[in-house]
Amino acid sequence: MSLKNNDSKELIAFLIIILLVILVFSYVLFGAIGIRIALGIILMSLPFYIVLNNFSLLDGEKFVFSALLGLTIFPSLVYLLGLVISFRMAIAAIFAVLIILVILLNKIRKK
Amino acid sequence: MKFNKNYIQTFIFILVYLFGIYFWTQPLQERKLPYGEYDAMSHFEVADYLAYNDKSFVNLPPYIDLRYGLDNKFKPHTLWYPPPFHTALGIMEVIGNERVVPVFLLNAIMASFIIITVYFVINSLFGFLPAILSSLLLIFSPRDFMPYLWGQWPERFAYALVPIILYCFYKYLIDKERKPLFLYLAALFLGINILIHPLAFFHSVFGLIVLYVFICIKQRKFIFSVKHVSIAAVIFLILFMLFPYQTFNIFPQLFSKPSGDQNKQSLDLSRLFQWSLNPKDYAGSVPESYFSFTEMHALWTLPFLLLGIILLAWRREERDLFMLAWLVSLYFILHRDILGKASFLHRSLSASAHIFAPLTAIGIVYIASIVKHPSKLNKFLKYGLAVLFIYLALTINMASASKMLNKNTYNPNTQAGFFVSLNEQEFEASQWVLENVPKSYNVTLIGIPYQDNFVSATAKKIRWVAAASQHVTRFYYLLPNKENVVKSPDWYVMMDYTMVGSLNDKATFDEMQLFEKDILANHTLVYNQNNIRVYKLEPKK
Repeated sequence: MSLKNNDSKELIAFLIIILLVILVFSYVLFGAIGIRIALGIILMSLPFYIVLNNFSLLDGEKFVFSALLGLTIFPSLVYLLGLVISFRMAIAAIFAVLIILVILLNKIRKK
Repeated sequence: MKFNKNYIQTFIFILVYLFGIYFWTQPLQERKLPYGEYDAMSHFEVADYLAYNDKSFVNLPPYIDLRYGLDNKFKPHTLWYPPPFHTALGIMEVIGNERVVPVFLLNAIMASFIIITVYFVINSLFGFLPAILSSLLLIFSPRDFMPYLWGQWPERFAYALVPIILYCFYKYLIDKERKPLFLYLAALFLGINILIHPLAFFHSVFGLIVLYVFICIKQRKFIFSVKHVSIAAVIFLILFMLFPYQTFNIFPQLFSKPSGDQNKQSLDLSRLFQWSLNPKDYAGSVPESYFSFTEMHALWTLPFLLLGIILLAWRREERDLFMLAWLVSLYFILHRDILGKASFLHRSLSASAHIFAPLTAIGIVYIASIVKHPSKLNKFLKYGLAVLFIYLALTINMASASKMLNKNTYNPNTQAGFFVSLNEQEFEASQWVLENVPKSYNVTLIGIPYQDNFVSATAKKIRWVAAASQHVTRFYYLLPNKENVVKSPDWYVMMDYTMVGSLNDKATFDEMQLFEKDILANHTLVYNQNNIRVYKLEPKK
């Protein structure tokens, strides 16, 4: 997965194809639930991908690391917040907070 | 639009990985019902409780506490593993809006994540061909998919982090400018590793030590920066302290005295010259085939595996030392019984394929480079051997794996799955109990065989009923105080007629009918569907 080419348009086109293949596969095997799970993993990993995108890492490193962080750090935060508020609300809140933090961090870095 | 080579390679890997997911999820594709052994139930229970009850918890609910209340020796009656793994499953249950498929599908993805991380690391260090061959071989690794089926869920995922931790540390060690980013990432993933499973964490620690020694010797210098190591330690400690009740549980486990059996094993020094363990020491725990190289890896891989090891040891480039350090660290972990730490030793064996598969792939791919040929012939030989590898993997490894993992694995309609997994009717009745029976009530079951020759199998079924219903659930005939139970208003009785018909067990059927007539006639029938009846122990209204 060493996607060394950083041409963003080509990368986006490639990612869309990959996403479609995964979604079709998930739907064929598990229906709408399969699609939800695939999208769920992407959503959990997204904030970490945006953070890692700021570092000089290979594309493959960013994808694999952000998936691992999404499947571990995101749930850790949800669990802790879920001790105080509803578990479902904690999922939404942690996602929102992480995205806002990541955008703010990106803005600060650019300045 | 023209895609570059890296995209095509990644696309091929995605297809191979999706095939792996197809292969591993076969039991789930046919039936959307939970499956697995005792450990699977516990992991499902924790994830399902979080999602279904819409809250995190510190103290275990009674139906989980009954079996796992003392597993956390540092803080009894709390989770025995840190919660991230189960919370991830719980989050998927919420997102998937269903109780079974999201949990089991995400678990399959996490258990097979080793295929992704091995591909990523081998591709980064040795190129596409050894990487894709390794990932293909790993799909059919019984030491990976069998524990995943049985229920060692967090452990499977934790092993996927081992190559990533070593890779990050390796990148730090070989960086001439010694930029600390990869050291911090190694610390981050090491911290995450202990939040998933301590066994894989210790494997990573040994791997880091061996890799460090190997690279220091290769570079002939002592690599150390107080600043970098201090920051990395802080990153690790933050994660370690995130769930202290669970992470501190490793200390009582580490310093507990070994049992008599473990002591006996630790004296066997001949083990130093063996990779695997003695199957007799684990009889009843895992099948004998689990300890067989032929059955777990296939004998055809052995010459290529040895060739891969010899080649790397001969060449000793930094990337070769990475692989050897990974291998040597697994050897250390597998022989920790010599130091008196033999608990779950067989589980460490399940990491063998993670290093054997890439070494085998490297061995076969680099055969062509051993003898100097004209460039074209070299390429032809390399790809020809890769085709041979794929042919052998599909005809031998896949064929053998398909006998263990297929659509009938844990199928309640087959002989193998009949006693141990829930059928549709039992799951529906359990779901009804979950939705309609207050949490403070317990459930006792009649109809599931409880006799000595059945109980080791059917105990799994009754535990699945507990998991699916989120209620304490017991065999009626094995209750110590059953006379009191039928007089108590704290219990429900489930009469399960779904098994007696298939077993042609008229005696049990008659006994159940009599029980309903004599004992339950004056109580309220609250559920009566699909040959399962549930009574609330209270006088009829």
